[in-house]
Amino acid sequence: MRDRDTRQLTLMLAPYLLGIGVLIALPAAVTFALALTEYDLIRSPRFVGLGNFRELWDDEVFRISLRNSLMFIAFAVPLRLLGALALALLLHRRFRGVGASRTAAYLPSVVPDVAYALLWLWIFNPLYGPLNLLLDALGGPTPRWMTDPRAAQWAIIVMSLFVIGEGFLVALATRQSLPAELYEIAALESARPWYVFGRVTLPLMAPTLLLLLFRDTIFSFQATFVPALIVTEGGPPPYATTYLPVFAYQNAFEYLRYGYAAAATLVMFAVTALIVYVQYRIVRRWRHAFVV
Amino acid sequence: MAGLSYAGVRKDYGEIQALRGLDLEVADGEFLALVGPSGSGKSTALRLAAGLEEVTAGTVHIGSRDVTRLTPAARNVSMVFQSYALFPHLTVSENIGFGLRARGVRRQDAARAVEEAARLTGCDALLDRKPHELSGGERQRVALARALARHPDVYLLDEPLSNLDAQLRVDTRAELKRLHRSLGTTMVYVTHDQVEALTLGTRVAVIDGGVLQQVGSPEEIYARPANRFVARFVGSPSMNLLPATLEGDALRAGPFRFEPSALGIAARRLEIGVRAEHLEVARDGDGVPATVEVVETAGSETLVYVLASDTSLVARVSPELDLEVGALVRLSVASRNLYAFDAETGATLAGLRR
Repeated sequence: MRDRDTRQLTLMLAPYLLGIGVLIALPAAVTFALALTEYDLIRSPRFVGLGNFRELWDDEVFRISLRNSLMFIAFAVPLRLLGALALALLLHRRFRGVGASRTAAYLPSVVPDVAYALLWLWIFNPLYGPLNLLLDALGGPTPRWMTDPRAAQWAIIVMSLFVIGEGFLVALATRQSLPAELYEIAALESARPWYVFGRVTLPLMAPTLLLLLFRDTIFSFQATFVPALIVTEGGPPPYATTYLPVFAYQNAFEYLRYGYAAAATLVMFAVTALIVYVQYRIVRRWRHAFVV
Repeated sequence: MAGLSYAGVRKDYGEIQALRGLDLEVADGEFLALVGPSGSGKSTALRLAAGLEEVTAGTVHIGSRDVTRLTPAARNVSMVFQSYALFPHLTVSENIGFGLRARGVRRQDAARAVEEAARLTGCDALLDRKPHELSGGERQRVALARALARHPDVYLLDEPLSNLDAQLRVDTRAELKRLHRSLGTTMVYVTHDQVEALTLGTRVAVIDGGVLQQVGSPEEIYARPANRFVARFVGSPSMNLLPATLEGDALRAGPFRFEPSALGIAARRLEIGVRAEHLEVARDGDGVPATVEVVETAGSETLVYVLASDTSLVARVSPELDLEVGALVRLSVASRNLYAFDAETGATLAGLRR
């Protein structure tokens, strides 16, 4: 490559590289280093080797929060994916009000996290919250969302099910890019809706859905943070909604144990990578069924 | 097996009238080529027969059944698209058997029908492949096989050869004709290519602007066009058109003069049409003088574009004439080979219709 090209490329990449360096690479490196120390912002960091990780291994609260996070992912990710797909299939056709419906489906994703969480705080209120009023009117159960551990965990999952705007948009775009003629053939060949879904739509959308699955898995580890902090405050006891990000946050900013929190963050990172890797391995096995 | 008929079929898309009252009968077992320029409504007509669009007015019958309000599935027709519309994630055999399996036909029976259809279309060696491993021509065969597998009443073919290269198109054309003869099932074949329409159709329907212009055998369409549009659209190169005026006792059409009595028409505003093969070109003689502008050699014949007193004309001549650009030639045309059209309506004038 000529010098001029190199210079031009470097110049154009500079803002991006700078951003990655300052906002991602550097903090990540600091986190790595911090995880091997004890640091409380007051005294200078003290090297403890793998001490933090050993402590995490024995920490009951850490184990609970890891389990909580994994359970959240196990329920929230498939449900979110299903929701995004269902909305996309429902709203891909043109009909009166489709624009408004699509906007409505995306809208919750636009609301700032904190405002969204405060809204749900009201919705989940066991006495005057609309959710329980509705459930009561329908004769359903009226869980005490904030105080019952199981209900609180479900509350966090339910909250996450309405912020699927990006997944919905990607699924919608994918569905709309499928050739109409394939569906016309299906109609001429009298294929029933479920047959078409299973035999045509799902396999053709599968590559995108898998991408969404990976992305959502990574995202979901972090998605619990704001709701758990604002709506359930990590409770109800015993640590029912203390997820990994909350655990790290509390250790860092409430107990001033930055080294310990950094170690927890690294474990979260490692677990995320592991899950995505396992998903990828599973997917690779049957990819020949749909890869075009 | 059944015929297909349209009665007063109209289709509007908002303000746009795609079909303005189509009346057309396709006889049982016939191969009808529906030909027209893009936007003429030919594909709309096909999609209305398939039930992929709803008619605005009128009725569609398949055999004696009124299918106007039936779903595509209930009409028992098969369609082949220009894009082939193969399912990219399914193998060839799964593609061919798609309709059978969707209808709940048992696996073994479906497999037998798939093999039969594959054999008829010559894609039996491809059954385990995926569409992306096939050439354009092979995909076209698979799409055809899929349409065949279910033994429909009517085949609807929407420009199925348009994505093939020229040589393959000619070969496939012949094969399609053979296939139609052996199946004997009604086929409606939509194309914008008039050559394809003439060579394939047992009858040809020419459509333009949502209006059926003429239906007839290929020979009829070519030799006795109903109007100026058909005359110009069918045949390559397009028919020469000359605005004509009556001057005293003579009819003046471009550089030519004719006796109006010889044409058997009353004087009115009209246009005279001359097919390229009817325009005689000679090196000398007493014809109208003209200059050769362009020579297109096409092996067995040569197209010559000539200029005769401001009028551009095209003639089909024997290559033996061996003309060069700039040569002076003489043009003549026999009055029996003339077409005359009403300049306003474009209708072929009765006096000249043979």
